[in-house]
Amino acid sequence: MEGILFPNGVVEGREGLKEYRARGGYEALEKALKGTPEAVIQVVSDAGLRGHGGAGFPTGKKWQFTREAPEHPRYLVMNGGEDEPGSRKDRVLLENLPHLVIEGAVLGSFAIGAVKAYLYINAKYETAIKSVNDALSEAQAAGYWGQKVLGGSYDLDIEIVAAPHNYVAGEDTAVLEVIEGKKPQPRQKPPFPVTVGLFGKPTSVNNVETLANVPPILLKGADWYRGFGTKDCPGTMLFSLNETEDVERPGIYELPFGTPLRHLIEECGGGLKDGKRIKAIMPGSPSSAYLPADKIDTPLEPNAMREAGSMLGCGVVHIVREGDSIVDELVRITEFFAAESCGQCPACQMETKSLAMLMKRVQQRQGNAAMLEQFGKLLAFNKGKGFCNLIAMPGPPIESALKLFPEDFQALLAKA
Amino acid sequence: MPVTQTCLVCQNIDCKSRGAEQLAAELQQKIAAKGLTDVDVKPYMCFGACQEGPNVVVYPEKNWYAHVKSEDLDDIVAHLAGGPHVQRLDTIDSSLKELIYQLLDTGVF
Repeated sequence: MEGILFPNGVVEGREGLKEYRARGGYEALEKALKGTPEAVIQVVSDAGLRGHGGAGFPTGKKWQFTREAPEHPRYLVMNGGEDEPGSRKDRVLLENLPHLVIEGAVLGSFAIGAVKAYLYINAKYETAIKSVNDALSEAQAAGYWGQKVLGGSYDLDIEIVAAPHNYVAGEDTAVLEVIEGKKPQPRQKPPFPVTVGLFGKPTSVNNVETLANVPPILLKGADWYRGFGTKDCPGTMLFSLNETEDVERPGIYELPFGTPLRHLIEECGGGLKDGKRIKAIMPGSPSSAYLPADKIDTPLEPNAMREAGSMLGCGVVHIVREGDSIVDELVRITEFFAAESCGQCPACQMETKSLAMLMKRVQQRQGNAAMLEQFGKLLAFNKGKGFCNLIAMPGPPIESALKLFPEDFQALLAKA
Repeated sequence: MPVTQTCLVCQNIDCKSRGAEQLAAELQQKIAAKGLTDVDVKPYMCFGACQEGPNVVVYPEKNWYAHVKSEDLDDIVAHLAGGPHVQRLDTIDSSLKELIYQLLDTGVF
């Protein structure tokens, strides 16, 4: 199937500068530099590109806000922290298509008028960092970034920053803290990075995959891009189908928004191994609500997922097999969030630790009905508290599991 | 005598940085010195009131003492021995107290 990022399906193998240029690489940049930054923002807005890091904010709007912020200088930050469990879409792009990502970062920088772009990459991704570093040297020698990009009047510096690999280090404002040499802790918002970002200056933080979509959009146009996906959500997304042995063909698949979830699981992934049946699907990372198996025809699209009761997030699809205990899953999830809470907000520490402790008790058959009621109370009490969204993340999986699979909890209480 | 009261001393990062470990040990010693065999001291993971730590919750009596310092321990032990409630250390918001007391009532600790 034709894709936007991977024209012939997701394939492993690093694409060098020569190969990238042979398929139109950096032509979008040449074209853009002949026009205005505003024109770049316009095409990206017309295409309807949304952030692919999870929040889905319109990219054109983010760039416009950054460009219109009065302070100088401005910065672009490519967020390749990728600490979402099960996600490796950004790594696949950075390792295999480094020039596509770099061209996207240069285009984004030009659009907002950035003097410098920081490429923030998970420190564990050694191959990706080397791949991007080599590509940066090639691209600089060819004049695609540095002093006087392509002989024009635009100057852009680029630097790679290795990202610590804890969960909050991928949160937009925690990314800025790390680049400033501080601990990875989210900032209180507002102000948002588009007005007060890196070193207090306007900054656009964009996910790797978002930036990788920009060169094809500028080269082939907004209408071409809108030929993929749905009216509300054009384009494609790289979906990470759970990296366990549960699925016949786990991996990363680029699919247009709106593709039924069933297609990803059955056609791409080959279904579950050993003829196992699906109990539940978590369509968008550990912070999304479980969907029952009968929602398998839900389109992979943010609005449809919301209507079905969950969310698409950054496209990490996880499957629970019939016979698997939802409580075991939730112990893993609640312990993950408790461990990853950065520690600066008291409410988040108390909530995430309490949820994990309660879930562990239930798993150990030491639970009671009153304990089950505490999950909702803790979540409701802490709603809206904390600097970042981590405090809300354990909510959807826990509450959906209690609703969909009460018998999994009751069975453990009954034998207490 | 069987244990009838437990002093839960928060041992999360913030309370620890304010000396909660030493505080728990001192409290234990003072309780023993007073001969209160029905009172126990246990660590707790977090009450969600980090800025007001160190925090000590007396359960099941449900008294929450915040900003506890070494010099406050004699008054707390006196209270545990039947003396007056230490009003100056009772500063926690009632909604947070209610949430935590309900949680403790489930028998989770």
